[in-house]
Amino acid sequence: MTLIILGLGSSALAQTYNTFEPSKTQFMLRGYGHTGFEYLDTGGEQESTFLGATFAPIFLYKHSDKLMFEAELEFELEGNELKTGLEYADVMYVLNKHMTVRAGKFLLPFGTFMERLHPAWINRLPSRPLGFGHDGIAPASDIGVELRGAFDLGGPKLNYAVYVTNGPRIKDGSEEPEEAGMLDFGYYEDVNLAKALGGRIGLLPLSDSSMEWGISAYTTNSTGAEDSDYKDVGAFLWALDLSYVKSITPLQGVVDIKAQYNSSNVDTATYYEIEDGISEPYSFDNQSSSFYTQLSYRPIMSGSDFMKQLEFVGRYSDFNAPEGAEWEEKSTQYAFGLNYWLSWRSVVKFSYQTTKMEGGHDSDGTTRTNGLFVHWAIGF
Amino acid sequence: MKTTTNFKAAIILSVMASIMVACSSNKKPIATDTATEVAGSEVDFKIEKSGAQLWGEVCNRCHIAPSPADYNDTDWETISLHMRVRANLTEEEITKIESFLKSAN
Ligand code: HEC
Repeated sequence: MTLIILGLGSSALAQTYNTFEPSKTQFMLRGYGHTGFEYLDTGGEQESTFLGATFAPIFLYKHSDKLMFEAELEFELEGNELKTGLEYADVMYVLNKHMTVRAGKFLLPFGTFMERLHPAWINRLPSRPLGFGHDGIAPASDIGVELRGAFDLGGPKLNYAVYVTNGPRIKDGSEEPEEAGMLDFGYYEDVNLAKALGGRIGLLPLSDSSMEWGISAYTTNSTGAEDSDYKDVGAFLWALDLSYVKSITPLQGVVDIKAQYNSSNVDTATYYEIEDGISEPYSFDNQSSSFYTQLSYRPIMSGSDFMKQLEFVGRYSDFNAPEGAEWEEKSTQYAFGLNYWLSWRSVVKFSYQTTKMEGGHDSDGTTRTNGLFVHWAIGF
Repeated sequence: MKTTTNFKAAIILSVMASIMVACSSNKKPIATDTATEVAGSEVDFKIEKSGAQLWGEVCNRCHIAPSPADYNDTDWETISLHMRVRANLTEEEITKIESFLKSAN
């Protein structure tokens, strides 16, 4: 009798347990958000604003140990409009120990900033370095397929990624004459038959993985529409990146160094400038570059709990847009920050940033912009 | 544009060369053997790296590493696959780190 009861009991228990067993399809809803306050002084003209919160939900679906889907949506207030975006949406499959295939819209491994460091809860400063983001020269994401993987070299490690995507569109100046010759990486529809081909090789020379050097290249034979004068305008971009993160006992904390250099070379083409109703052809050597390096320090071994949560950051960045272009520009920027980490994925950032810009979108002379920022980012 | 083309070729060649070096040295156990002779203790040390140690070294490279207790086992499985691909980690690294995270939460 007792046995029967016990038997019944345990099967009932097993049943209860079953409902808690993980489902084979694993789903996570995560993402991040940030908000803040900014005060800017641009050549004596001041403005200040609270920034509309940004919300970026991320969906992760894991179907098996090899198959997974990831997607990120972006919601942002720009002025009074709600701007939405699909940051990425791709499916990935682990083919073998050293190779994974991804397809869809994904963040491009062109250097490391856009793919690995730009989310607000990861980026140590409230802004992106010069050369990234809107009107930047580094490609951020695109639609295509990619192979990636990593090898253990018995201490050092090597990782690679190669991809084929739709590629950028060149701005021919017909819509925005002041941007003629810029590559538009945010134009996802393919304008021609040519595809962009790119890749990155990363080497972690030390067995403690503290350092990584990366070299990336990106090339396309055509950036113009099939039937346009810009069909044969190709582009070649390359980048070098460095990351060094190490806990250093004499310094009682973690030192984090990041750097990336981007170079963009677009074939020379003729653009048109309308002056007094007459269309004047002009041309320029379409080469741009940008660079940033960032040093941050967290005194995690300090005796004080307050100090442990602090982080000190400094970043230098510069950007050079081609001489002779309507968007000719030479800018340098210094950014300094003090962060307070509430958890591993939530941070309050205070920062001061000063930017000197010569030229830029159809403006001459030098403009200096100083800014104070307070941002709060949270990942979840 | 001649210089650009040469430069292009140089970069593409060096990238290809690095891939080849990487693949060949990965397949040749001889390379590891010589390394063992030269710096035996270091290699042994590397082989014995625990999941906990790898977690401390690897998961701090881009963002601050989460603690095992931050997620349950099911979530760690999803996150591990996500990070394996996004951070381009080796299979050895992620397998060890995943079992550490699942054992310590
Ligand atoms: C090469 C950089 C890099 C490394 C190394 C790295 N991560 Fe991440 N991690 C990221 C990025 C980038 C994201 C944000 C992904 C997104 O939001 O698109 C992220 C997100 C996460 C998240 C949030 C959930 C998710 O899956 O998006 C967790 C948890 C996480 N990482 C844990 C880890 C752990 C554990 C390790 C060590 C095995 C690790 N990370 C190593 C770059 C990295």
